[in-house]
Amino acid sequence: MSDSQLVVEETTATILDSISDGVFTVDHSWHITSFNLAAEKITGIKRNEALGRFCWEVFRSNMCEGDCALKRTMKEGKPFVSSSTYIINGQKKRIPINVSTSVLKNKDGVVLGGVETFRDHSLVEELRKEIEGRYSFGEMISRSKAMQDIFLILKQVAESDSTVLIEGETGTGKEVMARTIHQQSARSDEQFVAINCGALPDSLLESELFGYKAGAFTGATKDKEGLFASAGNGTIFLDEIGETSAAFQVRLLRVLEEREYQPLGSVKKLKCTARIITATNRNLSEMVEAETFRRDLFYRINTVRLLLPPLRERLEDLPLLVDRFVEKINRLKDRQVKGVDEKVLGLLMEHDFPGNIRELENIIEHGFILCKDQAISVQHIPSHLQKSKPLTQKNLSFENVVDDAESKLILQTLEKNNYNRLATAKALGIHKATLFRKIKKLHLSLPEKDGRNTSIQ
Amino acid sequence: MGACMRVAVTVWENRISPVFDSANMLMIAQVEKSEVVERSYEQVSTQCVDQVARTLCDKNVNQVICGAVSEESALILENHGIELIPFLAGEIELVLDRYIKGETLETFVMPGCFCRCKRCKMN
Repeated sequence: MSDSQLVVEETTATILDSISDGVFTVDHSWHITSFNLAAEKITGIKRNEALGRFCWEVFRSNMCEGDCALKRTMKEGKPFVSSSTYIINGQKKRIPINVSTSVLKNKDGVVLGGVETFRDHSLVEELRKEIEGRYSFGEMISRSKAMQDIFLILKQVAESDSTVLIEGETGTGKEVMARTIHQQSARSDEQFVAINCGALPDSLLESELFGYKAGAFTGATKDKEGLFASAGNGTIFLDEIGETSAAFQVRLLRVLEEREYQPLGSVKKLKCTARIITATNRNLSEMVEAETFRRDLFYRINTVRLLLPPLRERLEDLPLLVDRFVEKINRLKDRQVKGVDEKVLGLLMEHDFPGNIRELENIIEHGFILCKDQAISVQHIPSHLQKSKPLTQKNLSFENVVDDAESKLILQTLEKNNYNRLATAKALGIHKATLFRKIKKLHLSLPEKDGRNTSIQ
Repeated sequence: MGACMRVAVTVWENRISPVFDSANMLMIAQVEKSEVVERSYEQVSTQCVDQVARTLCDKNVNQVICGAVSEESALILENHGIELIPFLAGEIELVLDRYIKGETLETFVMPGCFCRCKRCKMN
């Protein structure tokens, strides 16, 4: 070798040894031909021990066997940039790394082998976990201001033992929040019992909650313990409390006030020692004004009131929630799906999510069915989400945009108020006559019922 | 190494799989009087190490020869009473032959590691 070639070699070696990324090269038979100082430091293997060995014996990455980036690069002749993986060092520790590979060619373009560059991501991983920890509270995760404000008080709420009312649209995580409160409370070792009050007629609901004695009604052949008894000193979660009848509300109010209840067909009163958490997707205070929910019961359950924002108002949480669901489903189904690609994330950010977080989870699960352990891409998500919403000339008209927004708001408010026009007008801050005029102008078709016949004492 | 025993090795083509945590095939060797009398292959998912450990116990395997292994996976296997001989590299038949004959495995140890089999630890 000439002097100038020696100088070039020494310079190259000095440069490689001065950078903080690990670099090693391999020949066509996968033997390591060079190994820089950073590679020694990250892997814990001395250069003289690494040189001449098969790269997989030195590098020991979880991708060596099935998905080696260097193998793909050598086969396809293309560089491969930034892939996250881990290696295992001699102390059995997993070291998260980021890898890039390239083909090694001489000045005549002849392939000599491959070069792999890798960076220790341990610090990045630690920071990521710390940030994620800051955004998590029990099972819940969010970086949105509204949720962070809730997380700030949730521990105290949990420890206080107060009755809690959780409000939020369907699929926003009301039961998850109730469970989180239970897990953070002094009752965490006791039972957590949940019931959907909207799913059952009154008679069934009462027998489920309070239990019954044999002979209390046809079919009651033996005593049955209700959910209040099952919950014991734990927590009972009453979902869809806004769907309950006036008669049931009276019974529930008595339980909350006296902390006693009577199983159906029994004359003996039993103590209720469970903590009660309720939830609804209705606006209970508006229902109280509209006299469709008891005011006294509302004030009993409203000791602490938490409002869960809909997903469309916290889209900054979408990447966190997507990662959470991907991790969960990978674990449950023993898969290795790598998440969603950028285009899918973009399409999800445009979606309204009427079904909120539950809908998002379903979309990810749908993606899992169709994708095979790569990243979920556009063709794997439900078809109605696959196209970007186009901005047509019609949509861009100011009048159309305003009319659309008004229609949406009026319909949503009417639904929340059980189609009671007076209550809706009040909620919107307009006169009833104005509301009727807008309904006519926007050609909104409404159901027959007008919500006036469900008032209670 | 005269008695009957069953040894498993993580497989990658004809070599020991470089990383236990991403291996997907085990070869289970029935050894009698320092000879392999039977070989069987078992597809596994090392994503669930607990399941792998239970499969090995069900098949009366109590020794596993493998490549690099993480602390978490090693702990799970050891808690099931499985002796781990990790950080070995090379052709399976060569390594297994040396092992069942009670010979040293130093030459098969991965760079930057030391042999963790009982014999070498005692020496």
